[in-house]
Amino acid sequence: MHEQLRERLFPGDRVAAYVVLVVLGLVTVLPLLYMIVLALQSDGEVQSGDPVLWPDHLQWQNFSRLFDAAPFGRFFVNSFVMAGAITVSHLIFDPLVGYVFAKLDFPGKRIAFVAVLSTLMVPFFVRMLPIYSIFASLGWIDSYQGLIVPFLMDAYGIFLMRQFIRPLPDELIEAARVDGAGEFRIYLRVILPQCRPALAVLGLFTFVFQWNEFLWPLIATSRTEMRTLPIGLTLFNQEYFTQWNLTAAGALILFVPTAIFFVITQKFLVEGIALSGLK
Amino acid sequence: MIRRRQALTAWLFLTPAVLFFVLLFFLPIGNQLLTGLYDSDGASFAGLGNFSRAFRDPEVLHSFLITLAYAAGTLVVGTAVGLGLAVILNQSLRGRTVFRSVLLIPYLTSVSIIGLLWRNILDPQVGILNRLLEAAGLPGQTWLSTHPLATIVGITVWSGAGYTMVLFLAGLQGIPGLYYEAARIDGAGPWRRFFAITLPLLAPTTVFVSIIGLISTLQQFALPYIVTGGGPGNATSLYAHRLFLVAFNDNDFGYASALSLLLLIVVLILSLVQLRIGDRAHA
Repeated sequence: MHEQLRERLFPGDRVAAYVVLVVLGLVTVLPLLYMIVLALQSDGEVQSGDPVLWPDHLQWQNFSRLFDAAPFGRFFVNSFVMAGAITVSHLIFDPLVGYVFAKLDFPGKRIAFVAVLSTLMVPFFVRMLPIYSIFASLGWIDSYQGLIVPFLMDAYGIFLMRQFIRPLPDELIEAARVDGAGEFRIYLRVILPQCRPALAVLGLFTFVFQWNEFLWPLIATSRTEMRTLPIGLTLFNQEYFTQWNLTAAGALILFVPTAIFFVITQKFLVEGIALSGLK
Repeated sequence: MIRRRQALTAWLFLTPAVLFFVLLFFLPIGNQLLTGLYDSDGASFAGLGNFSRAFRDPEVLHSFLITLAYAAGTLVVGTAVGLGLAVILNQSLRGRTVFRSVLLIPYLTSVSIIGLLWRNILDPQVGILNRLLEAAGLPGQTWLSTHPLATIVGITVWSGAGYTMVLFLAGLQGIPGLYYEAARIDGAGPWRRFFAITLPLLAPTTVFVSIIGLISTLQQFALPYIVTGGGPGNATSLYAHRLFLVAFNDNDFGYASALSLLLLIVVLILSLVQLRIGDRAHA
């Protein structure tokens, strides 16, 4: 029914639509595929200036050369610890706070909610400098807590969880209260299990966005061993600027979570972004 | 009794969030307000000196102007591309879901990958784009030295088109299909229907998309930092990059705080405009 009423801009002429889509699809995907070609070229090929659409010999050893040239294993671990810890923290706190705003009545609720939402408007640049100064005096520069703490929860996740929990029937909570369940137990046993789909979306998006985060890890680290993958790769490229094959190999490693994320979320990606997005 | 218990529970559950938002949002912002009033050494009171300095600082003014140009370019081109894609992909086409998802890949890709990859592709010596252009009989370009800002706009549009498309798709879902049926019965062609129905009814979405885009482009830092390092000269040294340099190259935190507060003011105004328009759209 809905499908029939949908606007058809090119009646009878789907060809034009497909041509546009295929061209733009290729423009989107080809540069990323080219990254693979680049990563497997020899030094000679990558520096020759002749177009190489497929390397003569696939240089798989570029990956081991990359790990020999800079501590990419360490960069990977650092990124994983940062993104992983932030994701776990979001999964703990965002639904808890979202539940409070969705289902509990208490004095100060409106002000508290507006205060949380108002943080959406604050550019990271505004809180970055004071947080940097405080962390520097705490000795938290070049530390995991320094990378993680500024992002422990955020208003996007809280709002997403509140919107998801609001339509859940109040009777579930009332019934548990009558049964004498404690408030935290109600949240943990009654509400949280209902939230699985929303938690999956929240967890996946949080991880990928934090994995890709650039500005804060650039500032909050200075020692090579504490760099995250996006920063480590960018600085590596500045040093080894002629060896684009190695940079591309590093970029492929950095791309792995995005690829996994994409495979998992393919079916609900568009809805997921429309739901959680605004970023 | 139940109400008191609920209030206690609520604030107990909120305690970590209160601590987090106070310590990592509200106190830092308050601190910025104070720091912005002091000299670079943090010792002597400068009043609004840091703010008036910003309006006289040619480098800050330059960065502000090119940020506006960057934002305007990204907004116009990005909105047109995103809207076009959304209109096409709102139809019942085979493979719609795949196209939608594929167009979103750059949005989920690290800015380091995007920046480095395009720097290689656009490189006049070793990049593949000029080789392809030459093979097609077209002249090669020195993209990042001749048209640096326009090139950065192009990369931004490339990486953001899918996201803009999703926002427009959500807006398109809200237009009742009956309007199109009626227009079709009245004999309106596809372009007529687009300009008479789709575009006017998407106006709130377009404003929303534009303001979101403005807010994010005004804060753009990473892409030019990676692709051009702000150069050549300071041709792509956007406002956020200038702020970064003032803070971490010149170590002038007082002045940098003032610059960040100016950014906050602009973003707050844009956000409030957006809220007002959103309220009116829902009313």
